[in-house]
Amino acid sequence: MPESLLTEFIGAAKSVGLNYGFLASVSERTSWLRGVVVTIELSVLSILCSLIVGTVIASLLTSGRPWLARPARAFVEVLRNTPTLVQIYCAFFVCHMLVNQSVGAQNNPMSAYAWVVIVFSIHFGAYHAEALRAGIEAVPKAMRESAISLGFSRRELLVFVELPLAFRFALPSLVNNLADLVKATSLGSAIAVGELTYASLMIWIERDNVLEMMILILLVYGALTLSVSRLGFLLEKRLRMPGYGH
Amino acid sequence: MPQPYLSPEQRPLVELRNVHVSFGSNHVLKGIDLTVRKGDAVSIIGPSGSGKSTILRCINGLLTPERGEVVVGNTSVHTLRTEAERIALRKRIGFVFQQYNLFPHLTVLDNIVIAPIRILGVEREIAEREARELLAKVRLSDKVDAYPGQLSGGQQQRVAIARALAMHPELVLFDEVTSALDPETVGEVLSVIRQLVEDGMTCLLVTHEMRFAEEVSQQIVFTEGGEIVERGTPREIFHAPRNPRTHAFINALRN
Repeated sequence: MPESLLTEFIGAAKSVGLNYGFLASVSERTSWLRGVVVTIELSVLSILCSLIVGTVIASLLTSGRPWLARPARAFVEVLRNTPTLVQIYCAFFVCHMLVNQSVGAQNNPMSAYAWVVIVFSIHFGAYHAEALRAGIEAVPKAMRESAISLGFSRRELLVFVELPLAFRFALPSLVNNLADLVKATSLGSAIAVGELTYASLMIWIERDNVLEMMILILLVYGALTLSVSRLGFLLEKRLRMPGYGH
Repeated sequence: MPQPYLSPEQRPLVELRNVHVSFGSNHVLKGIDLTVRKGDAVSIIGPSGSGKSTILRCINGLLTPERGEVVVGNTSVHTLRTEAERIALRKRIGFVFQQYNLFPHLTVLDNIVIAPIRILGVEREIAEREARELLAKVRLSDKVDAYPGQLSGGQQQRVAIARALAMHPELVLFDEVTSALDPETVGEVLSVIRQLVEDGMTCLLVTHEMRFAEEVSQQIVFTEGGEIVERGTPREIFHAPRNPRTHAFINALRN
């Protein structure tokens, strides 16, 4: 953005009583924009990992083998029935410390950022797993029999028939979970991950412009969740099965 | 001395001996004996709930009988224990269902090539060429890129037959394949099966289409209450049944 335009915006905002002075400072502006980028990175990374975790857990849940399904069920229940924030604290203040103790703090490869990605991946993975499980269970038994009769193994049945159908059935719920995930990235601020909320907080502490920063936060998260649901709609359209169920 | 020669045509491809199946306390099959020779078409007829579909399910290992023997070619189906062994068997047996059961997320072409490519390891190009030939055979060349949901029941069932044939089966099992169809599309499916029988494919059909069964089959088997009541040539079963139950069933359908 050209500097003159920025100055003009700051001036205009000031005339209606809004203090966006931080945008004039290169260092403050950069660290805030960095927060936006981190939020996007965190979202994209966690979305991908959570979908992988969800797919694996859903496969275990529907495997029909108790020694796989039971631990998977326990995993899902623990993650769904404890607060996300508590899980983040637990990861950072318990797991991280345990790693510190065993390998020494300077050799610990983990960071607050990495823990947040892990927590979001398994937390939202658990929600995805339930949505996908419902999708897998919605695949008609007769469809399974026909795939098995063609010579599909249990795994091939899952990969080529059950999951593609389950993904389509579950897509609206998955998109819902993903929009939640994007909003939940703000919890990263609790352990000082420099994402949007944390970066904004750093600025309003200095400049006492909470309202102004809230407006920005609202706009960024709004734009991100809206993009997720738009992408979801596009995907739904693309994966539509012509004539199915009509 | 020349050995007595048994040509492949005379050797049974499918043999069931004293097959028993129960679902809980429901004794569905009570000692079924059945022989299908290579190249023959055999039709199983009988009232609903008489265990006809269960017989087919025992043959491709979807069900394991608690008693009796099922032999397909050189494979003793009743002794198969592992998934890999059952898969090897199922690759050799086509199965066409009443409800077609095409994969709704795949085009007609992909429905046909998925099993040859993923299971037999056929190259996509070769599999697709063959799929197009099969579609021409079932007269659906113009539906290559359609999705199952866009086809009529009769068209879907013909795709399902092409899908089964793409695996080059030794035997095709048909489980009431016209029962879910509109009357006007039954004919197109039956003519595809008729062509298949004429080409020498071994077919075992569970059917309610009596006229068709009479026309294409070498052998008719009448089942009731989990037993084979009578078997014979179409002429014997439809025109001179010996068993009064067969007689009653055939007559009821005539009227």
